[in-house]
Amino acid sequence: MKHSTALLVTTALVGVVAAGSASAQNRADTVIFDLDRTISDPENFNWFTAGTKREHGAHQAMWEPLFILNYTTGELEPWLGTAFEPNGDFSEWTLSIRDGVEWSDGEAFNADDVVFTVNMVLENEQLSEREAATLRAQVAAAEKVDDLTVRFTLNEPNPRFAVENFGVRIFGSFLIMPQHIWEGEDPATFAFYPPIGTGPYTFASSATNRAIWDRNDDWWGAQTGFMDLPEPERLVWLETGGEESRAQLIAANEIDAAQNVSVGTLEAILQRNPAVIAWHGDYPYAWPDPCARQLEINTTVAPWDDPNMRRAVAHIIDRNQIVNVAYEGTTVPSQTMFAQYGSMAPFIDAITEAGFALSPEGDVEAGQALIEAAGWVMGDDGIYERDGQDLTVAIHVNSASTEYTRTIDVLVEQFNRAGIAARSVPVENGVFWGEVLPFGAYEMSYSWLSCGSVNEPWTSMNRYTTDSVVPVGERSPGFNNTARWDDASAEAYTEIVHRMRDLAPDDPALPGLVAEAYQHLDAGVPFIPLVQAAKLLPFNTTYWTGWPTAENAYNSPAFWWNHTHQIIHSLERAQ
Amino acid sequence: MADQALQDTTKPDGPALTRAEIRRRRRYENPWFNPKLFWGAGILLGIVFVGLVGRVLWDPDLVFTGAGVLRLPPLGFENLRGQAGVLNHPLGTDGAGRDMLALLIIGAPNSLYVGVLASLIGMSLGIVLGFSAGFIGGRTDDVIRVLSDVMITIPPLLILVVFQAAFGDVNLTMMALLIAAFVWQSPTRLIRAQVLSMREAGYVQMARLSGASTGHIMFREMLPNLVPYLFGSFIANVTTAIVTAVGLEVLGLGPQRIPTLGRTIYEAINSGALIQNLWWWWGLPTALLALMFIGLLLINLGLDEVSNPRLRRL
Repeated sequence: MKHSTALLVTTALVGVVAAGSASAQNRADTVIFDLDRTISDPENFNWFTAGTKREHGAHQAMWEPLFILNYTTGELEPWLGTAFEPNGDFSEWTLSIRDGVEWSDGEAFNADDVVFTVNMVLENEQLSEREAATLRAQVAAAEKVDDLTVRFTLNEPNPRFAVENFGVRIFGSFLIMPQHIWEGEDPATFAFYPPIGTGPYTFASSATNRAIWDRNDDWWGAQTGFMDLPEPERLVWLETGGEESRAQLIAANEIDAAQNVSVGTLEAILQRNPAVIAWHGDYPYAWPDPCARQLEINTTVAPWDDPNMRRAVAHIIDRNQIVNVAYEGTTVPSQTMFAQYGSMAPFIDAITEAGFALSPEGDVEAGQALIEAAGWVMGDDGIYERDGQDLTVAIHVNSASTEYTRTIDVLVEQFNRAGIAARSVPVENGVFWGEVLPFGAYEMSYSWLSCGSVNEPWTSMNRYTTDSVVPVGERSPGFNNTARWDDASAEAYTEIVHRMRDLAPDDPALPGLVAEAYQHLDAGVPFIPLVQAAKLLPFNTTYWTGWPTAENAYNSPAFWWNHTHQIIHSLERAQ
Repeated sequence: MADQALQDTTKPDGPALTRAEIRRRRRYENPWFNPKLFWGAGILLGIVFVGLVGRVLWDPDLVFTGAGVLRLPPLGFENLRGQAGVLNHPLGTDGAGRDMLALLIIGAPNSLYVGVLASLIGMSLGIVLGFSAGFIGGRTDDVIRVLSDVMITIPPLLILVVFQAAFGDVNLTMMALLIAAFVWQSPTRLIRAQVLSMREAGYVQMARLSGASTGHIMFREMLPNLVPYLFGSFIANVTTAIVTAVGLEVLGLGPQRIPTLGRTIYEAINSGALIQNLWWWWGLPTALLALMFIGLLLINLGLDEVSNPRLRRL
């Protein structure tokens, strides 16, 4: 229903938005970004709780991060913070805040806000978003040294503390909230409406399918000389609802940045509108997203509670076919759980040398041998049976993108041909992230829950330790170990990952430990890495230039991330 | 009657009838000999026939993801990339490499199957309930009438969307059963009305007096008189059921791995087939659905003429 009506609805909406902005704002002064989800609660800006509270412009235009990781240089670039210094053993970190930062209501942004927000999260278990849960697990105390300095004392030494929590490493960062507004409110239920932030845009209006932000010409950054005011006067995030409508909209110059499309669709857009560009100027066009795709397995559900059955599935998967059919050659098969970035090469190499790298091709016979060893017999219909029961699996998949559904279609075919009666269960985006994944309400699923590492291995590996195991029906903290993997191999794995925790990313012992931990991952198979992720994001240069591309790689093009501030500041009016 | 018509080839006071006139006359005398009925049935049987023979002559496994090169055009056409159609996929392939010919061969009978099954179940329910309400009357009539009146006000698609979403993946039979739950009301009401008017007819009174059971009177005495009417109602219901099924499939709520025409259209819409000009992906299933509806419409018109002699023309 969503997709078939979406085209009509969005076309009508763009008309409305365009008409609305025509009176107040010129289209050429406005940047319209694609939003790939519905804003279920448009008057709630409490980002600590689940829902679309950030990626509709709130953390791209209004809330600024302390630091931003530059994906090209690997540097942590200062934003609201100016420096983040650890002590000798990484157990204490001292944050310096930029002088002159102000909330859009004129109040000063300072150490009080930072300490207040951190303490609020430490004291409230209900604040469940990943960044809040991560910080709560790491920080023992935060204290104000002076107005522009905060000292963090950690539970355990952590060499990655700054980038992990405050650096927009992937998608978001821990966002500081204004003490003068949140004080005295119940942080679990406070809606924070209308919201304020320190960014160069203020909240104008929102509905379930759009959010509008207007430039604040009194922005502190321009006054203090930190940065010029960004050129766009208005930013709009608009739900387009599917590949066809987003393609039509960007081809018709109705939006400036579109979410992921397939290669064929991009080629069609380019024919209609030569002003559209992507990360690469030519095939494969796509930007390698750091969240490698994987098949999630709920290790509590029979027969997949048997590691040998999980390994059988891992053998059956033909990654090359996923690349060719679902991604049309825009990505590559995963060798390990990690994103195949240059900075990750030492760890991927260590795993490969230890013999745990994944094959791009399937080995159906090896998989079938394992299934037969578990007592299943091939039935007349080509499906395995045991005690009169067919071997079945339901794979939950987020229906928001054809990338997801098509990958699962490919897997479903591979499984059925190998004798497992697989079927896909498409579910809506909100249900998928809100109910299916965190509560373990699935047998298998398609996602990227080992995502996290981009220049060190610990963050991704730490997501599958036994520390995060909760019973099915309870929310997995920060989507960690939703597989609920807690057998003997998981415990051995956890022990090694704990040892890795205190090591700096360039510690020479780290690759060896990664390989050692990986043997348990290989034995336990709590998830199966599939392919690297590739995002094909069309940008429109009709009204705005300066979009991130491979040649102009000032940072990643993922405009739903918190670092989009950099993109917006880089945009220039097309002449 | 037919024999009589064959012998009666001359008008009493005129020249001999032409062959066309004889044919028309024959048609008039035997109402089932109706061109609309023939054409409609021919179209539908043709689709079923292609579905049956196609499964033998063409590889049905080509309906699955990754069976061929992605987005190939039909033979004699080129796609946006300049790839030409190939003989291995004469009607082209979709965005996931499924063969369009195989999709149509397997998908069209599937859509028809859902429609016919849902309508059969709905009609059977409607016949039993309609006769019971009309013939037995009293409390039974009240209950059935209220039930069907209430059900007829509920928009079926709305409920089905919720059902399908809750069930997740459903198979064709399950889907037909769900739809059947929404196509029994109008036959029930209409049959009830017919039965009410027939109840007092002489032959019914006669049967009643001779001690025939209620079941005997309802189904042996009265039902045969309603056959043409029931057929018409059945075909109308098939159309409704197919429209409902395709509606659900186009919303992505049909069976996942079983090819249907609606699902093919859903995937085309969802994958940017319009902007990529992959007309064969959405156009062929749409054309086939249109053909199917034309077939059903013709049968319905034909049946109307069968049951209502005033519609027949010489």
